[in-house]
Amino acid sequence: MQPEVDARRIAEEARDRVRFEEEMLELSDQAYRVARRLVSTREEAEDLVQETYARAFRSWRSFTPGTNLRAWLFRILTNLNIDRGRREQRSPDTQPMEEGDYYLYNRLEESGAGNDEEQVVERLSQDTIVDALASVPHGFRDVVVLVDIGDFSYQDAAQILDIPIGTVMSRLHRGRRILKSALAEEATGDAT
Amino acid sequence: MIDPCDKCEEVLQPYLDRELTEAERFEAEAHLDLCGYCRKRYRFEESLRRYVRQAWSEGMPPELKEKLAALRTPIL
Repeated sequence: MQPEVDARRIAEEARDRVRFEEEMLELSDQAYRVARRLVSTREEAEDLVQETYARAFRSWRSFTPGTNLRAWLFRILTNLNIDRGRREQRSPDTQPMEEGDYYLYNRLEESGAGNDEEQVVERLSQDTIVDALASVPHGFRDVVVLVDIGDFSYQDAAQILDIPIGTVMSRLHRGRRILKSALAEEATGDAT
Repeated sequence: MIDPCDKCEEVLQPYLDRELTEAERFEAEAHLDLCGYCRKRYRFEESLRRYVRQAWSEGMPPELKEKLAALRTPIL
C-alpha cells in the first residue's frame, strides 16, 4: 500500500512542478521586458533573466500555490538585480536632478518642438527614453519600471520590492520627475 | 495664495493615477476646463506615459527562450 501512495505523491508533485514551470515560462517575455529596462545592456538583461529562472525553478517549493506567481517571480528578479547593483557599486550617492512635472514639456516647447502634444512627445526618440531611464537611480527606476512599464499595481510593486505602499507612491512620483528631467536633458542638451 | 497652475502641476500625477479625492478631482477639472496651459501639459503627460510604455518593444531573443526552457526540471 505504502509504495503506491508514495508513487502517487511523487507523480502529483511532478505534475505540479511541470505546471509551475510552464506557467513561469509564459511570463518570460514580461520578465525580459522589465529586466531590459532595469539594467543597461542586453547581455546583462539576459543574464538577469536566466539567473532569475534558475533561482525560481530551484526554489519552487517556497511558492505558495494560489498566491501571485507573477509578483513572486518579479520579486526574485528585482532582488537579484539589487544584489548585482550592490556588487557593482553602480549607484554613487549623487543627487539626481528633479524638476516639476511641467518641466519637460516647457523645455521641449522652448526648443521649438511644435504646438501639438503628440508632436512634442514624438520628438523624444526611443533611445532618448532608454538612456534617460538608465540614468534614473535604482531605487526610483525599479518602481517606475514595475508600475509604468510592467503594469504592476502599487500593491504588487510594494510586495515585489518589499517596501511599504506609501514608499512605492513617493518613489514613483519622484522617479517620474527624475526621468522627465533626464529626458529634458537628453532631448534638448544638444541644442544648447 | 497658491498659483492655481502650480497647484494643478502638483496634482498632475495623482490625477492621472486616479488617486485624488472626489473634491480634489473636481477642483483640478474645474481649473483644467479654464486653463489651456495646464490642459496641454496634462495631455502631454498622458501621451508621454503611453510612449514610455511602448518605447523600445524589443522582443526576447529566441535563444534566451530556449535557454530558459532548458532550465526546466527533466521529466524522468
